[in-house]
Amino acid sequence: MKFLSNVPTTHKVFAALVLAVLYALPLFVTSPVMLQIFILIFFYAYLTSSWNFVGGFAGVLPLGHSAFVGLGAYTSTLLYLTYNISPWIGMIAGGIVAAAFGLLIGLPTLKLRGAYFALATIAFAEGLRVLVENIEKLGSFEVRGPKGLLINLVGNSFRDFQFLSKVPYYYIILTMLVLVLILTFFMMRSKVGYYLAAGGEEPEAAEALGIKVSKYKLIAMAISCFLTALGGTFYAQLVLYFYPKSIMGLDMSYEIAFIALIGGRSTILGPVLGAFLLRPVGELTRIYLGDTLPGLHLIIFGLVLIIVMRYQPRGLVEPVSKWLTAIFDRIENRRRA
Amino acid sequence: MIGYIESVINGILMGSIYGLTAVGLTLIFGVMKVVNFAHGSILMVGMFAAYWFITLTGVNPYLALVVVVPLLYFFGYYMQKIVIKPIFEAEKHVREPITVIIVTTGIWYVLDNLALLVFGAEFRVAQTSVTGKMVEVAEMYFPLAKIIGTGITLLLGVYLYWFLKHSRMGKAVRATSLDREAATLMGIKQSRIYNIVFGMGCACCGVAACVLVPFYYVYPTVGVPFDIKAFVIVVLGGLGSIPGAILGGVIIGIIETVGAQFMAATWTEMLIYAFFLVVLFVKPSGLFGLRQDY
Repeated sequence: MKFLSNVPTTHKVFAALVLAVLYALPLFVTSPVMLQIFILIFFYAYLTSSWNFVGGFAGVLPLGHSAFVGLGAYTSTLLYLTYNISPWIGMIAGGIVAAAFGLLIGLPTLKLRGAYFALATIAFAEGLRVLVENIEKLGSFEVRGPKGLLINLVGNSFRDFQFLSKVPYYYIILTMLVLVLILTFFMMRSKVGYYLAAGGEEPEAAEALGIKVSKYKLIAMAISCFLTALGGTFYAQLVLYFYPKSIMGLDMSYEIAFIALIGGRSTILGPVLGAFLLRPVGELTRIYLGDTLPGLHLIIFGLVLIIVMRYQPRGLVEPVSKWLTAIFDRIENRRRA
Repeated sequence: MIGYIESVINGILMGSIYGLTAVGLTLIFGVMKVVNFAHGSILMVGMFAAYWFITLTGVNPYLALVVVVPLLYFFGYYMQKIVIKPIFEAEKHVREPITVIIVTTGIWYVLDNLALLVFGAEFRVAQTSVTGKMVEVAEMYFPLAKIIGTGITLLLGVYLYWFLKHSRMGKAVRATSLDREAATLMGIKQSRIYNIVFGMGCACCGVAACVLVPFYYVYPTVGVPFDIKAFVIVVLGGLGSIPGAILGGVIIGIIETVGAQFMAATWTEMLIYAFFLVVLFVKPSGLFGLRQDY
């Protein structure tokens, strides 16, 4: 617990309070539509936090993370459909597959400049999508190309990762998000975290101090891809039907990057803040204006991104946390007085 | 045999038009070290402008060049001046201008979806005097529009090459690209050069748009496939190299058409991405790129 020693008490109390409210939320919110919106907010916050390991801390810009979401979803679902392996185990398998692909793609590209890395990740994600769309059968696995995969409904079953109510999904993704945030917290204060920060800002200086920058970037990439793929399995089990365009399309990759940059890259809470700001806009405009004004939410995303980058290039988490810290300080002072 | 020759030539024709879009991208990267992700969307804007101009006036499709190219030049000029410049300035000394990249992605999203909102998702085809016309050479048939397009591409390539090598402004552009600070000390106004280069990059898209409209569909996301191909092409040719961009375009065009003789068209798309990743693995500086650029 020595990691927590320099965190002020008010922050801890606040964090505990927020967590308690979020965990108690399904007791008050019972509408499945509302719960679904919250699930998607947490899902995107989770994906973006996973993205953050490489996009934030390693200081590069991956724009193809949907490929790893897709790898996770496809691996676990194919294992489940073909060999009836529980998606919980398939989830880990998917993570390992995604991490392997992440290493493969990171190995040649992570030492290149940011622009090259961004382009390489796009090419990888699009290439993988086209590949999956072209495969009908892979050994004994029925990949079904562009038609996608459908998971049979079996009712409430923990082993099959299927629930009729939205509440279990809510708790699963919330817990996954909390765990990844804790991991981020420790990562930032670990040796690897400091090496990455140094390598991201001044690679030459870091190399000169004997830090193997590309090695740590690769580690970050593998962790990031692993975690992203776990999210992919979750998504597959949530929607029970997906196809290459829906789960590994470029739109999802960009949305992850948008959320990260609007919220605040290389911060713990930036992705969460970004997801809480963007996802509801996306969902609500899609539900209420999707027929009359298609694509409106994407225009809003783009504009918000441009404006935030113009006036708060480090993301919105900076002003928000400043504002919160001011309030906490006042509380702290009043408590002391 | 004749089929292969025909498809190679068709590949060269289409590829040079890909190269045309890539030239704009590589020009902007060469000077600003920024990959303009909104490039395909700017092409889309140009295609809609050309489409409406041709459809409403009914004149020769290549007359649209006179309107669309200056239009896109000013579009790019002011996009850089108003949207990109302030962000670029803030990030000038950062090694990886990630924020600028992501902002151009934001512009892409705004433009594509605005077009979807305004024009709807349908595919449009401009009916022009060259649409559907074929030219016969030794029993092989080639679309006239693509032949004219290739000619325009080559002219533009030669002009840009001359412009950068010999004109005063071109020398200033090259100086800025080599060393921003030293160029500024020589009295070259950096921000003006960036505006002009961005405008020129977009104007190249305008040329490509006018060349494409007579034989290609116009729809709001038409830029995306061109965008991604242009990324592949510029890396293949070497980011920042104009001959590299045109040659890279031709290579991609040939892979596409010749590949289609052996496999389904969707597989050739896959082949292009695989080829791209191999290039990044083996020679990230591309065919003509300078070492310092990556």
